[in-house]
Amino acid sequence: MLKIKNLHAKVGDNEILKGLNLEVGPGEVHAIMGPNGSGKSTLAAVLAGREAYEVTEGEVELDGVNLLDLEATERAREGVFLAFQYPIEIPGVSNLNFMKAAINGKRSHCGLDPIKPKEFLAKVKECSSLVELDGRLRDRSVNEGFSGGEKKRNEIFQMAMLEPKLAVLDETDSGLDIDALRVVSKGVNKMRSKDRSFIVITHYQRLLNHIVPDFVHVLSDGKIVKSGGKELALELDEKGYDWLK
Amino acid sequence: MSKFTQNFTAPSHGVELRSEALSLIDSLPVPTRRSERWKYSSVSKLANSTLSTHKGGAVGLEGWPEEINPNPIPELDAYRVVFRNGVYEPTLSDLPIADGIVCMPLSSISEDLARTIFNNEYHKTEWVGALNAAYFQDGLYLHVSKNIKLDRSIVVHHLTDGENVANFPRHYVRIEEGGEADVVVWSNATEKSSGMCNSLFEASVAPNAQLFLEKITNEAGDIYSLAHDFITQEANSRFKAHTFTIKGSWVRNELSIVSVGKGTDSIFNGAYMPCGSEHVDNHTTMDHTFPDGTSSELYRGIMYGKSTGVFNGKVFVRPDAQRTNAFQQNTNIVADRGASINAKPELEIYADDVKCAHGCTVGQFDLEALFYLQSRGLDENAARTLLVEAFIADVLSSVPSKELSDEIKRLYSERHLWS
Repeated sequence: MLKIKNLHAKVGDNEILKGLNLEVGPGEVHAIMGPNGSGKSTLAAVLAGREAYEVTEGEVELDGVNLLDLEATERAREGVFLAFQYPIEIPGVSNLNFMKAAINGKRSHCGLDPIKPKEFLAKVKECSSLVELDGRLRDRSVNEGFSGGEKKRNEIFQMAMLEPKLAVLDETDSGLDIDALRVVSKGVNKMRSKDRSFIVITHYQRLLNHIVPDFVHVLSDGKIVKSGGKELALELDEKGYDWLK
Repeated sequence: MSKFTQNFTAPSHGVELRSEALSLIDSLPVPTRRSERWKYSSVSKLANSTLSTHKGGAVGLEGWPEEINPNPIPELDAYRVVFRNGVYEPTLSDLPIADGIVCMPLSSISEDLARTIFNNEYHKTEWVGALNAAYFQDGLYLHVSKNIKLDRSIVVHHLTDGENVANFPRHYVRIEEGGEADVVVWSNATEKSSGMCNSLFEASVAPNAQLFLEKITNEAGDIYSLAHDFITQEANSRFKAHTFTIKGSWVRNELSIVSVGKGTDSIFNGAYMPCGSEHVDNHTTMDHTFPDGTSSELYRGIMYGKSTGVFNGKVFVRPDAQRTNAFQQNTNIVADRGASINAKPELEIYADDVKCAHGCTVGQFDLEALFYLQSRGLDENAARTLLVEAFIADVLSSVPSKELSDEIKRLYSERHLWS
């Protein structure tokens, strides 16, 4: 499914990823933990195709497609989804028009006709109930005036609408209270399937109680320094990161 | 007589205003960049050109250029008053005929009436104004009687068609107490046309009356488009204006509103998206002289290519205009490196119990928003289109008729290749 080999990336002159290797199989959930500044969000940005990040070495393949050759738009159409740590507010752009444009962009990429209005609305209904996003929020401008929790729920709503192959959740738990964390996690868990993989980036074990990972990796200074099962997260919670350096 | 005006012919109507203006032209300086009002909009190239007013009469549909629809908003069920190169086209026009409505070409009104209607002093203060007053050809005359509501919009259509043409439209609208009307002024020009369209629109709105005005410039060719709109509002009257520049090589819109009674309400919004080497200038003045007035102004622009722009918004709140509530916002996006805009709000407030807010910004496209949209699978054009549509949506949504706002949106999208 996803193969990352010897990935090096920098922002400006600052090298952040320094030879990262990671394989994610279909249906697997991989958690990536690590101290501040270790490169977690950079990994998410590089996977999604953010322009400010320059890949200097390495390979990223999703089902045999070299993602590094593709623009952000094409990566999304190939099935990559990034749930933003800080979702953007876009006044005046309706959430639903945005989703319709996104779905139709992907459909035209796959040689399909635009989605039928009825089918679209049914999908909206199904996906918004998944994260308890009520109609009032759903029909508004993208994230405009949303609380932190509402923005994260909207990210998962979008993920459900777009049905990605690979979803990267960048600190989706940040800024969430316990109830919102539960709702968001429930949405993610319902989206788990044998042909959809997740990379869950987080600082805290707390999220992984709800979204139980198959693998946990520790990222430190731009490389994965330790990998293990879900119990590694508990160990990190107890001991911190210092023992791994 | 100066070289610039040597080929201009003054029609025989409206003699009093004309002769006054003619006597003033030579004493009024051609504006230069030294004048604050014209600092960023140079007319020196225009002043050095040789233009002529149109000599012939009406041409009807046969003489009308194929590339332009004489009815610019086909979907809108409206009256039409059509002018080609300043000359009234009776066979292409459809004037309202109803009790309480007087609507005719300005050239047809009596000299006695002509003497009394225009109250603006533009011809006394500006060379551009004196030119219009001296050489005005024709225009709309509309009088709406007390409590009469005009049932459909009136579309005033200016067409410039030909090389080195000087057009001088001049319009007058009076809405009596409780009356209502909506006027659309649409300016077109053919691909090969060049010259100037120097127009003046004066309206006076009586107590409790309402006037809506939508101005659209969609001129191909190489035209200096100078428009001056002068609106006087009496007590509790309502005025709403929309100014859209879709296309035009050099466009200056001046809108001046004076409130001369209590409790007036003025709304004026505009949008512009110049590209290439186009120049767009919006100068607005809101003058609150009486208490309890409200005004709301929203102008939005996106500057593409090497275009240049000007926004100047003056708001005066005179000493007697207590409890005025004035709002002004001008938001600009400079989309390309070579483009620029000079934006300047000017508020002069002489009353103490007022609420005035203004904001003026010049920025770039929000790259974070663009990436967010692209990361969901929208291509760059689709993402930009969504952002641009959102940006001007607040201006378009307040246009009184959907047919008109749809047509404006269609023309913008055709021009900017929105997906």
